[in-house]
Amino acid sequence: MHRERLENAAFRAGYGALLVFMLLPLLVVVVTSFSASGRVAFPPDSYSLVWYADFFESTRWLDAFTNSIVIGVGTALLATVLGVLGAFGQELETDSVVGSVVAPVVLIPLLIPPVILGITLLLYFNEVGLRGSYASIILAHTLWATPLVYFVMRSVFSRFDWQQLDAAHDLGAGPVRSFVHVVLPNVKHGIFVGALLAFIISLQEFVMALFLSTPGTETIPVLAWTEIRQALDPMVSVVSTFLILISVGTIVVAAIATNLEWVSKQLS
Amino acid sequence: MSETTSLPQIPTSLDSLRESFAGQSSSTRALLLMAPLIAFELLVFVIPFLILLRISFAEPSSDLVYEPGTWSVEAYAGVIDNILAFDLFWSIVSYSFLLGVVVTLVTVVLALFYAYAIWRATGLLKTLLLFSVVLPLLTTLVIRTYAFTPLLSPSGTVNELLLSVGLLSEPIQFVPSTVGAVIGQVYIVLPYAVLAIYSVLATMDWHVVEAARDLGASRPRSVAEVVVPQAMPGIIVAAVISFAWSVGAYAAPGLLSENLTFALEVERLLLGGQRYPTAAALSVIMLVLMLVTISIMFAVLNRFGGDFDLA
Repeated sequence: MHRERLENAAFRAGYGALLVFMLLPLLVVVVTSFSASGRVAFPPDSYSLVWYADFFESTRWLDAFTNSIVIGVGTALLATVLGVLGAFGQELETDSVVGSVVAPVVLIPLLIPPVILGITLLLYFNEVGLRGSYASIILAHTLWATPLVYFVMRSVFSRFDWQQLDAAHDLGAGPVRSFVHVVLPNVKHGIFVGALLAFIISLQEFVMALFLSTPGTETIPVLAWTEIRQALDPMVSVVSTFLILISVGTIVVAAIATNLEWVSKQLS
Repeated sequence: MSETTSLPQIPTSLDSLRESFAGQSSSTRALLLMAPLIAFELLVFVIPFLILLRISFAEPSSDLVYEPGTWSVEAYAGVIDNILAFDLFWSIVSYSFLLGVVVTLVTVVLALFYAYAIWRATGLLKTLLLFSVVLPLLTTLVIRTYAFTPLLSPSGTVNELLLSVGLLSEPIQFVPSTVGAVIGQVYIVLPYAVLAIYSVLATMDWHVVEAARDLGASRPRSVAEVVVPQAMPGIIVAAVISFAWSVGAYAAPGLLSENLTFALEVERLLLGGQRYPTAAALSVIMLVLMLVTISIMFAVLNRFGGDFDLA
């Protein structure tokens, strides 16, 4: 089968090229962070850790880093509470009119260009006087993170064995008690993964944050953007490398904490 | 609750749960659970949009950014006149749509191929392919875009490589240019598109494709007539996501191209010119145009999938 072999070769070349396309930019970021010169070139002429040293001496970057973490944790907490309760309520009452409205409304913000969300929220937070606070960015990021938690939880709850709740009820547990002692332990992995997704979304989001941030609430991506537009130096690569490490680290922690099999089942 | 123990009742245990969990007021309890989410969506999504709509109908003001309490269609008239006169807004809107369409086409084709490759791969290769899709998702889009500058600039890696092997005699200006913006934007949306299509393929039965092959279909034909129609729900999600995010793209065109997209113009109007009503009106018009396009896309793709199902 000559033709078959040719097709196979073309197929391999195709996904090989795609692999390079997907991974090369990330490799560029990490490698250029070790550049010794002030020019971002790939591969760099010589290597050093000077830009890392600079990062740890820059209060501006460290402040942005703190802002990103605070906003990320805030978003994760808020989105998880909203998403878990909402998905559980939805699962109890699948046919109600409100239920059928909630799912699309939760989803729609994901399909609206972040620029439009950014200007909408900028005008709104100006009106209500929240502009310039952590809360304004946390609320904006929660708009994006909640759908993810919500849909992770919908799929987790759909696999939950509801008869356990019957049993708890028969044994005399009230609704709150059975939720805390029967439902939560069963879905805690899902909640954990949802919360981490929300954290990562917030850590990376930049268009809404760009509109809403003020000098005191600049996140890492916002600061990176303003730096890139002024001049290209390897500092941005250093920051990017840290962001990649944090995100990957978060996923690894999630994988270890929940157990690998479960995570791979979620991904596939 | 004794009837739940008999076998035929097991599939309806959700119903019995509704009774057991909440007695007779199950819908009240469900609503109570959803209340925080509903309140949040109202306060942070629905009401802000009504305010945007309201400001788009306010009169512009020279000292304030808009005149509160006034009603006027001036901002809309200005934007629409400008578009109809093929002026600045026309070029901005048409360029944004062009970027959206081109990126969507490229992304859907690549994503279908990528998802198919992941689906067919096994073991380590499958893990590697999935990893290569998930890893960029873990990186902020600022950085995903920025990485293309040293790669694609006239003195960048790609040009140097092509020059040194003799494929080029002089460097190509990938960035800043539309080509650069398309490459950067495809890179941003491709992972989401791949995962959307892969999640559908993963539930599909490979034996159906094998059967088509056994009946004499070539590989391309089996993909076009068996895989694509079945993957249509995923393809629709991939296309809608790619389109919506690329029409409204900010980072890739801002960094890798010199043409103004609507997202960059809205920022300029808002933060630079302080022309709130115009920025709001342009956003509303753009959103309506996008929603119309997405609905048409939805209808066409749906029919496309449906026709193949009948065949």
